[in-house]
Amino acid sequence: MTTEHDIYDESPAPLGVPTLPERISADAELPAAATGGTRDPVPRSQWQLFRRRFFRHRLAVAGGIILILLIVLCFGAKYFAFYDKNHQDLLLGPVSPSKAHWFGTDQLGRDTLTEMLYAGQISLKIGLAVALLSTLVGTITGAVAGYYGGWLEQLLMRLTDLFLVVPAIAILAIALRKFGQSDNIIILVLAGLGWMYVARVVRGQVLAVKEKEFVEAADAAGATSARIIARHILPNCIGPILVNATLGIAAAIVTESTLSFLGFGVQPPATSWGNMLSAAEGNYNQNTHLLYFPGLAILLTVLCVNFMGDGLRDAFDPQSKH
Amino acid sequence: MLNYVGRRLLYSIPVLLIASFLLFAFVRSTFDPTARLRASRDKTVVARERHRIGLDKPLVSQYGTWLGKAVRGDLGQSTRSGENVSAMLTRAMGTTLQLIVWGAVLSALVAVGIGVYSAVKQYSAGDYVFTGLSYIGVAMPPFWFGLIAIELFAVKSHLFYSLGLHSGDSRGLGLDYARHLVLPVATLCVQIVASWSRFERASMLDVLGADYVRTARAKGVPQRTVVMKHALRNALIPLVTVMSLDIGALFGGLIITEQIFSIGGMGRLFFNALLSGDVYVLEAWMVVVAACIIGFNLLADVLYGVLDPRIRLA
Amino acid sequence: MTSIPVTQQPEPADEEDTGALLDVRNLSVLFPTDDGDVHAVDDVSFTLDHDETLGIVGESGSGKSVTSMAILGLLPKSAKVTGSVRFRGRELIGLGEREVRRLRGESLAMVFQDALASLNPVFTIGAQIAEAISVHHDVASHELRDRVMQLLDLVGIPNPSERADQYPHEFSGGMRQRAMIAMSIANEPDVLIADEPTTALDVTIQAQVLEVLERIQDRTSSSILLITHDLGVVAGTADRVLVMYAGRQVELGSVDDVFYDPRHPYTRGLLASLPRIDGTRDARLHRIVGQPPSLIFLPTGCAFHPRCPHARIPGPCNDQRPELKALTALHRSACHYAEELPAMSTADLKATVGETSAEGPQP
Repeated sequence: MTTEHDIYDESPAPLGVPTLPERISADAELPAAATGGTRDPVPRSQWQLFRRRFFRHRLAVAGGIILILLIVLCFGAKYFAFYDKNHQDLLLGPVSPSKAHWFGTDQLGRDTLTEMLYAGQISLKIGLAVALLSTLVGTITGAVAGYYGGWLEQLLMRLTDLFLVVPAIAILAIALRKFGQSDNIIILVLAGLGWMYVARVVRGQVLAVKEKEFVEAADAAGATSARIIARHILPNCIGPILVNATLGIAAAIVTESTLSFLGFGVQPPATSWGNMLSAAEGNYNQNTHLLYFPGLAILLTVLCVNFMGDGLRDAFDPQSKH
Repeated sequence: MLNYVGRRLLYSIPVLLIASFLLFAFVRSTFDPTARLRASRDKTVVARERHRIGLDKPLVSQYGTWLGKAVRGDLGQSTRSGENVSAMLTRAMGTTLQLIVWGAVLSALVAVGIGVYSAVKQYSAGDYVFTGLSYIGVAMPPFWFGLIAIELFAVKSHLFYSLGLHSGDSRGLGLDYARHLVLPVATLCVQIVASWSRFERASMLDVLGADYVRTARAKGVPQRTVVMKHALRNALIPLVTVMSLDIGALFGGLIITEQIFSIGGMGRLFFNALLSGDVYVLEAWMVVVAACIIGFNLLADVLYGVLDPRIRLA
Repeated sequence: MTSIPVTQQPEPADEEDTGALLDVRNLSVLFPTDDGDVHAVDDVSFTLDHDETLGIVGESGSGKSVTSMAILGLLPKSAKVTGSVRFRGRELIGLGEREVRRLRGESLAMVFQDALASLNPVFTIGAQIAEAISVHHDVASHELRDRVMQLLDLVGIPNPSERADQYPHEFSGGMRQRAMIAMSIANEPDVLIADEPTTALDVTIQAQVLEVLERIQDRTSSSILLITHDLGVVAGTADRVLVMYAGRQVELGSVDDVFYDPRHPYTRGLLASLPRIDGTRDARLHRIVGQPPSLIFLPTGCAFHPRCPHARIPGPCNDQRPELKALTALHRSACHYAEELPAMSTADLKATVGETSAEGPQP
């Protein structure tokens, strides 16, 4: 929605945001001329343009690298961790960060870093799976609603409205009490309350794309609806879908940690970053490392995911800087 | 305008009815009000009790009965304490509203201030600091912020309190109240302040680049007035909508905040009712909170209409 | 009063300080971007006299709008503005925001192109016009209201008292542009800069709005700087014309000079691209071949040479930047071969600009 042009500013934009003074005149005479329509003899594909813009977004690239690193470290914990998964040292007890234990140990003498890597497996798995699942559900719902219209659209969108006005955390807590707290159920329940935004965005996008000529052409050529949606409409919605998927990952990780912290999510002895914090609550004053490190892990992950989301949005839609 | 508000209101009523029915059905199908009686030797006790309270009827008619009583203020008795549910909700809501009102007012002021500053001084050092903080604020789990805040400001230094809203028998507004309120309100609002300020910055930047802002400058309007009148008035329109939607969603955030800070409001009420399977409290709680969220959604629409003349007259 | 030293001497043929109302000399505007500097306006000089209408013509990207914004100091801070703009002998470039603000809307006012976007959507038309007055003058509120009514009446808006309380979106396009004009003339400015005032309007409405502008000028004897890509608008309204191309001025002269004896190939191209009612049946529309140049990488020598049918390459055209030479007392052209261009006839025109049967006139 926003184009970051600066009225009061002299320095060039950071993060590779081009700062052509776009609004100097309402007829936008500068950008057309400044970019020199004829100067670029090599036509670039959408994908090349996208890649170029994404990699100019330094924070997004850094976020992506750190995120991949985190995933590799957590899922390869067996190889990277200095201690075994359940290695305890009851005599040692809780110690502050040291050379032997970079992030200290907990009450049972377990290495916090090791535990965080294993906990990260669950947190990341849940975050990614929920985002994937809710994006899938949301995309299908939104695409069907937008493409078919009529009573089906009304029904699906009213349903979306309904899901948006319920107190999510409360429902999740009750549902997890009801259905149990295995990882798969946590994933299903979180995804069940996470698909609505994607559905709205995709529907809007589909409505816009539907009117384009190439869709009408495919329709006239006798393509089936499913084929038109899959081949013509969805590829044009991929940007907003991906951006929302990253938001979904972030939201799922935070929600999972919240529920686990409250005791409704991942149950001991399994650990996620959220229930590590739950164990640390009340341990104020002493052993504050138990409070800081798992939280920092969540913060870092979500930050990286959000930066990637920003990068994706700018890359897909350079006009919107929101 | 009235027409517009009326339409939105009319749409809200079925949404509320359907949502409340679904929530009611969800709670009733999860928890059993007769759970306590299961241990009884007399096997007919449970059946008689179920019949007495109508659990043998379909959910729709159970809901009808419940709704009929609810509109007269009768939400039943807590299965745990036997206390009147509507009294429990009223008391809890009183506490919760303090958090929400303070939180919303302060968040709005802070977020608009930061947003306007960051937009007008785009790419200044201050803008970078606020933008960085807002990224962190959005990405941080609020409960973790609460824990850290307690650790730093209530345990290490005794600047603020982390238990309840008053200490001992102190009452009303005052320093004691403020020192209790700071941390929970901050915890409740850290995310929305971060996201509102980012939203307002973007919205303000958008507006500052608008042609009508240039027109105002061309008229000779002083820069300050251009920003605070011409730009801000327009930049607030989308923000106000986002704000009222988010304030509705705060009712969910309360569960965590009140739990961490041991505040006896709606969040605590839900938490305890869930742990003890207090079905009447839970179903009433769900419906009341859904009504609040729907109410704030409605408010968002209405405010949008009030602030934007293009909608108002449409 | 500060004035930035003018690095380049004014051309010898230029008048000395003639006491022109507005005297623009060697004005350049440059925008630094990631891809390089955009030379939006490059060494432009002209004067505007009392009670005169000067048309500035050029296609998109020619720098005409940026020129007008530079005069009022409305460009973003990132813009590097050099040269001199004197209003009643007073230098405006480098003048503090506070002083420039006092002149804006009071002595130098502006009418913008897109009135819907240029009027604030959340304030009534009346309030926006009243503000134009009240920021410069202490006026009692009822007087202010009367003044607003008079202004709306003057620009031909019926029912002023009712219309003043309406919002911009409730006005039609033509009415909005009239309201915009009412706002700009609220303080009877000495100079009225009209930036494409009719572009967004229907042809019939265009004529009405232009007529309003003329009527205003008769009444207030404001000088008007009329910025447009539409030669037809200039022909009917302006006294003199400045033609711009790629941020540079290419021709300056009276309307008769420029329309009947254009001395720059670009001007000729523009004229030839106009649809003519006196054309023969088989007359086709002409367009200038090629694209406007990038303002970051301007062609060497004359910026127009890659598109110019008369260009002699290699030669001065791609080698030396042409000066704006005086041909007669008022008529100037920035073409190396200004004097040698053949006299213009319809047949010549066709030969000059190359015939295409393309989509339509190139604005």
